[in-house]
Amino acid sequence: MNQNKSCDPCVNDMLVQAKQNHIETAWDRYEQQLPQCGFGQLGVCCRVCWKGPCRVNPLGNGPQRGICGADAHTIVARNLIRGIASGTAAHSDHGRHMAKTLLEMSEGEAPDYAVKDQKKLADIAAKLNITAEGKELKELLREIALTTLADFSRQDESIPCTWLEKTIPESRLKKLIQLGIAPHNIDAAVADIMARTHVGTDADPVNLLLSGLRSSLADYTGMALATELSDALFGTPEPVVTAANLGVLKEECINIAVGGHNPLLSEFICDMALELHDEAVQAGAAGGINVVGVCCTGNEVLMRRGIPLATNYLSQELPILTGALDAMVVDVQCIMPSLGKLTECFHTRLITTMNNCKIPGATHVEFHTQTAKESSREIVRLAIEAYKCRNQDKVNIPQQSSTVIGGFSAEAVVAALSTLDAADPLKPLLDHIVNGNIQGVALFAGCNTPKVMQDHAYLTIAKELAQKNVLLLATGCGAGAFAKAGFMTMEATDKFAGDSLKAVLRAIGESAGLNGPLPLVLHMGSCVDNTRAVSLAVALANKIGVDIDQLPVVASAPECMSEKAVAIGTWAVALGIPTHLGVIPQVMGSSAVVDVLTEKVKDLTGGYFMVETDPVQAAQKLYEAIQARRKLLGI
Amino acid sequence: MAAGDSRFIHIDETKCLGCRSCEMACGLSRKTLNLFTAVLQGQQIEPRITVVQSSSGLKVVQCRQCEDALCVKRCPAGALYHQNGIVTLDEESCIGCRLCTRVCPYGAIRMTTAAVPASQAKPVKCDLCVNRSGRIDSNAYACVQACPVGALTVVSKQ
Repeated sequence: MNQNKSCDPCVNDMLVQAKQNHIETAWDRYEQQLPQCGFGQLGVCCRVCWKGPCRVNPLGNGPQRGICGADAHTIVARNLIRGIASGTAAHSDHGRHMAKTLLEMSEGEAPDYAVKDQKKLADIAAKLNITAEGKELKELLREIALTTLADFSRQDESIPCTWLEKTIPESRLKKLIQLGIAPHNIDAAVADIMARTHVGTDADPVNLLLSGLRSSLADYTGMALATELSDALFGTPEPVVTAANLGVLKEECINIAVGGHNPLLSEFICDMALELHDEAVQAGAAGGINVVGVCCTGNEVLMRRGIPLATNYLSQELPILTGALDAMVVDVQCIMPSLGKLTECFHTRLITTMNNCKIPGATHVEFHTQTAKESSREIVRLAIEAYKCRNQDKVNIPQQSSTVIGGFSAEAVVAALSTLDAADPLKPLLDHIVNGNIQGVALFAGCNTPKVMQDHAYLTIAKELAQKNVLLLATGCGAGAFAKAGFMTMEATDKFAGDSLKAVLRAIGESAGLNGPLPLVLHMGSCVDNTRAVSLAVALANKIGVDIDQLPVVASAPECMSEKAVAIGTWAVALGIPTHLGVIPQVMGSSAVVDVLTEKVKDLTGGYFMVETDPVQAAQKLYEAIQARRKLLGI
Repeated sequence: MAAGDSRFIHIDETKCLGCRSCEMACGLSRKTLNLFTAVLQGQQIEPRITVVQSSSGLKVVQCRQCEDALCVKRCPAGALYHQNGIVTLDEESCIGCRLCTRVCPYGAIRMTTAAVPASQAKPVKCDLCVNRSGRIDSNAYACVQACPVGALTVVSKQ
């Protein structure tokens, strides 16, 4: 009876079992929430002040203004940009954590961390105009950290954030400065939104939305620096073969799932799993410790270490239901509070680790960068203890898992291309785009939502676009969907890619020594790693001297859900990318806001949102957007 | 499904939180539109149920299908009548005199807000989703389904 909940057979199987055992999941709670409030769906409910809540009636003769006089346009715009501010805060807090870790390393206060990728560190220094030559590592780390942290503290509004300035084309930066939406300070962009949406402040929907664009670019900045600094610390991803779906859990092992978004801890959990192997065996787990990923921490460790992915966001409760998960270690963002309640019914230990993310029912082991190894050891030992309470009779691990070829950082893509043309690696890609073998590039990003069948729209749109020779990239829980469904394999390329795309992927793959084509969908990392796709696009744009809004590049978030996704989608539009949303955003109560986001913004940034809930139609619209850009480029 | 027995919608006002989801659902179900299409098309809806704030708290105003209905008694055109226990309006017979809106002790009948000439305006009231052929609409009781707190229930008089 749960057949239509997900495209993932493991999920559907587990949901049947959950029902039999009277265990509630996100899908049950979604049904309990139906019908969802129409005012909220339209974004016309205002809870900004305590005179309210107010809402306007978009369908008749009810009130058209809140008590203060705010109309639907003001209310919708305010609600939207508050979401963008939250997304920005979340991503950039992750980035700040990375930058502060670098600073601590420079001061000798994070002794467990090392720079795994010296080249990336040098590249970052060069990008930030920091001279690396002749400097000791600590000095270099300090300079990079302070330059990065200045993007969180600068008070001169005329100077854009360094990480924004240095990672987008000059023409784009100029445009953003002209529009007054180039952020000078990430935190200030968030604070600005909270200030201007206070009761009785900004009521102009366009002015509100512009500040939303500015904050979204601060979100981009926070993401870009988070990803780049993570690469320096933990290594820049390179192609790696692993697996995805619940079948990656192993009965004979102590299974630890790492979930959330931040690699600062999960990297050490992976190391500690190896270090405490003997203790695990002594506890009775013949296979030792098996670390698996959930959600975007899963993507982080998949990309850098080939750690298998158990599942993506919406099904994060299900690994626990297998009875074989001994610990779920979480950091920040997109962690369902339901996990605390759920672990009451299982031996699984839920372990929260960050001070700003505690969950009732969890064991909290506060993680500090200063004592990373020690915390990780304590956490893994908790998993070993929990394993001793596992009831093997209740273990029920679905057998399905798919092969995944992941690890496609921008550097990895360029490295693969350089096997075709070492002197000019981007040339083969550009040539194929120009001659139409590759019609364009589509980036899938975003979350899961129970409002639609899990993963379905991702897979459908990807199949449609691949057939039409569009190169596909994916991050976040979109990447999770493709990973589970076997779309990150050579076989998928053979099965779904159009002839010319197939030939290109084969040529690159074989030249790069993969003994076959590149996978159909290139896994670019966690949701914070969306900036990897931008850096590739920027490299292409810079090479041919155009701006991003001229490239045949589109983005799609078929199951967008989180405020971070709202922020990402908005910066994609701010950077000039046509961006599809497969879930109706909570803005439809204002025709003015809808008009700005889907039409008027085209004149400002070149990007725009398109909303389409039908995946086949969405693919068509994305393809048309690609074709429109090709036409303007004359290719 | 035939409206073979008489029924009414029971409202537990102590549960009502005033979200007005029932109003939206009722109005949309009558137009057989979904929310987003209605908003995009700029459609107005005419809910047969309204939530109002009175001095004693929230009140949900909806026709109670009175057995001894003043509206039926006073209608000069005989346009309001009982059918299987439901107070039913025959719009064709209705002369638009508005008397029913004045005599209903619950204020449960109001005139349409649609942009029509005053002479053609008709009353709007809950008919329990029973159509003219005496059958219950397939999308009936949207108000009951929409209520997030279960304040509305369909009750058979028997």
